[in-house]
Amino acid sequence: MRRKLKVGLLGALAGVLVLALAACGSGDTNSGSTSGSSSSASGGVLRLGGFIEPSSFDPALAQEGNYIPFYQAVYDTLIKREPDGKLSPMLATKWAYNADNTGLTLTLRDDVTFTDGKKFDSSVVKKNIEHFKAANGPQATLAVDVKSVETPDATTAVIVLSQPNPSLTVALTNALGFMASPDAVGSAAITGTPVGSGPYTLDKANTVVGSQYTYVRNPKYWGDKLPYASVVMMVLTDETARLNALKSGQINAAVFQRPASGTEIKAAGLQLLGQEADWAGLMLFDRNGSMQPAFADERVRQALNFAIDKEAILKQIYLGRGQVTDQIFGTATLAYEKKLDTSRYAYDPAKAKQLLAAAGYASGLTLEIPVSPAFDPAIYTTLIQDWSDVGINVTKHEYGPGETIPALVSGKHYMAFMTLFTPNDWTTINQALTPTATWNPLHFSDPTAADLVQKIRLAADDAARKGYAQQLNEYIVDQAWFAPFFRFEQTYGADKKTHVELQVEQAVPSIYNYSPAS
Amino acid sequence: MLKFVLKRLGLALSQMFAISVLAFSLLYLAAGDIARTIMGENATQEQVALKRHELGLDQPLVERYVHWLTSALHGDLGTSYFTSQGVAQALWSRLPVTLTLLIGVTVLSGIVAFALGIAAGVRRGWLDKLVQLLSVLGYALPGFLAALFLVLTFSLNLGWLPATGFIPLTTSFTGWISTITLPIVALSLGPIASVAQQVRGAVIDVLRQDYIRTLRSRGLTEWEVILKHVVRNASGAGLTVLGLQFAGLLGGAIVVEQIFALPGLGTVAITYTSRGDIPVVMGLLLVTSLIVAVVNLLVDVGVGLLNPKVRVA
Repeated sequence: MRRKLKVGLLGALAGVLVLALAACGSGDTNSGSTSGSSSSASGGVLRLGGFIEPSSFDPALAQEGNYIPFYQAVYDTLIKREPDGKLSPMLATKWAYNADNTGLTLTLRDDVTFTDGKKFDSSVVKKNIEHFKAANGPQATLAVDVKSVETPDATTAVIVLSQPNPSLTVALTNALGFMASPDAVGSAAITGTPVGSGPYTLDKANTVVGSQYTYVRNPKYWGDKLPYASVVMMVLTDETARLNALKSGQINAAVFQRPASGTEIKAAGLQLLGQEADWAGLMLFDRNGSMQPAFADERVRQALNFAIDKEAILKQIYLGRGQVTDQIFGTATLAYEKKLDTSRYAYDPAKAKQLLAAAGYASGLTLEIPVSPAFDPAIYTTLIQDWSDVGINVTKHEYGPGETIPALVSGKHYMAFMTLFTPNDWTTINQALTPTATWNPLHFSDPTAADLVQKIRLAADDAARKGYAQQLNEYIVDQAWFAPFFRFEQTYGADKKTHVELQVEQAVPSIYNYSPAS
Repeated sequence: MLKFVLKRLGLALSQMFAISVLAFSLLYLAAGDIARTIMGENATQEQVALKRHELGLDQPLVERYVHWLTSALHGDLGTSYFTSQGVAQALWSRLPVTLTLLIGVTVLSGIVAFALGIAAGVRRGWLDKLVQLLSVLGYALPGFLAALFLVLTFSLNLGWLPATGFIPLTTSFTGWISTITLPIVALSLGPIASVAQQVRGAVIDVLRQDYIRTLRSRGLTEWEVILKHVVRNASGAGLTVLGLQFAGLLGGAIVVEQIFALPGLGTVAITYTSRGDIPVVMGLLLVTSLIVAVVNLLVDVGVGLLNPKVRVA
């Protein structure tokens, strides 16, 4: 009897084990197909690899950069941005500013319905934008000048500004422009269940939050069908795993952060695409000299620029994938001038010493630099060596993960090495140059720059704006507000079956930019 | 037996409480500015301060812990700071993947290790030496290195098995097998090495006992002696080590899940910890503590059932 009981208990234990093993794997994901683009319904599947995921499908909480395709799949924007940066109609068929650029009138489509059956009209625009302003999302500053939204009729929305904002139309191609169904806006459910009018809908049954997001074609989409019937966005945080997935054909395309990944992509016979989306270099915050008196003298700041061998850093650490530059404005901006890439601060240690001597620092200077674990230590080593060659000693202030940026933006340091995205002109100005900019933590203000910024704001259009933008760029380069090293290429890899168009001023291609290579 | 089980559960609960206090404090102290990480590098200080307040990150640490503990005791583990998903839901959706891995490794390791250990202990000679050599290699080779080697060979070069991802059993049996084979093999090498050695040693000890000679003299076949008596008496040590290995597997699974991009708890551990998504990490700690406690209990009970001599009161 006892023997039978023992056997029974052992059998039960084994049975539980088998059942658990069989049940395990009843997760609701279908990732890991060995083929990268198997055909399901007509149009096939596009599989994309990335390293982040959206925090919420509420458009008001949308981030930009690598997050954008997650939202583009389900939400349309008021205006669309083409790969080359030109604006084109989307939910708005046309738009125009009033005379003093404080009101943008949008003419809206009247044939768009959200996936929950609700109709798109001007009241939806008003509701979305008002929610965007109130939600304190990461991109809330895009609406900082938005005072209100007027809705004179169903197909007309007027965005009223407290003052002109040159980046408003670009903002409407992105986070500020994503339109969710009015019933979903502000609801708790939208966090995990987007309700938009976009080309796809989220397939929740085949989505695992933080791991895989599956989208299937929206059968009621008002616009042209995108080439793929389904899009799967896989969150592969480990870059080696992402590379392996691309090389083995499990994904069609992916973004990579390590320059060395580009070498492997090329060696594997895949497409290696690159986009200069970020600049890397030093931000010299203390132009008043309140923390580091030497920084008040532009000759010292210029000397810091001349002393850095930027080509060597680009070659050694970023494997030459980028362009040495002296400016922080990106190539697609109005402010950008090619001559400012290399003409102003070519590596010249002798010139650096001359400038330091002229500024009264012939005997040398001691500086402190915050060190972030997010960046390759070789950058700091090379920089410190370059400066040591011209008599500048550097001490390091080391930070742990997640600590550096809060310390920098709170004004604890007078300079820092950073890599920053290169967005449009107005966003660059407000992120780094104005006294209230996040990346101007010591709130430095300069009357010349302020005057040019105001002229840019008030200019009638881009043609008028361009001259002032370039003047501003030349001024801050001449004054050495920064010591940019280079714009580096964001590595994007794709298989030969997939045609990809990179998107200007965006870390990854828009969802509209993919098609089968044939 | 019931008293034993209850006592072990009580011990497990007090261990989980101690772990939660320590982990909560360390995680929040080391996390940096979580609100800034959520809002991104371009958000203003005012936006970040508002987010900090929204998430309760401006409250004192003790207050935050009490709030978390109270909610946890009511079954509410909170919400992820970064994905807005409920913690329980986030962990529940990923638990099957990690359990597949762990149970698969345990079963494979158990079968292979016992087979090798018994063969080595019974046969001795060149087989014994070979098993010992393989054990040393299994100890020496870290799981992540084995995983990388397996991916390179079987996925990238031969194309036989996928390099990343997970297909549930309910979707496709062959797909499921294809996606778990390499991770399970990679993680099994270490446990096979240590369990095989234990089993080998125990088998040799048992074979030396007088009652084994007595059993043989009674006319039992060698197979009957080995399977009914030697294995049963020698398996205790091996099972105990296998159970202890389970806890260690949780750590190994973290790295292997990253390499194979398996959407399990290991990926959560790395990604969410580095971001400072503390509600999820706390939930993960509770789940893994519970898994370890339950497995240890099952091992003790199992060993006791197999060998009454070691059964606890």
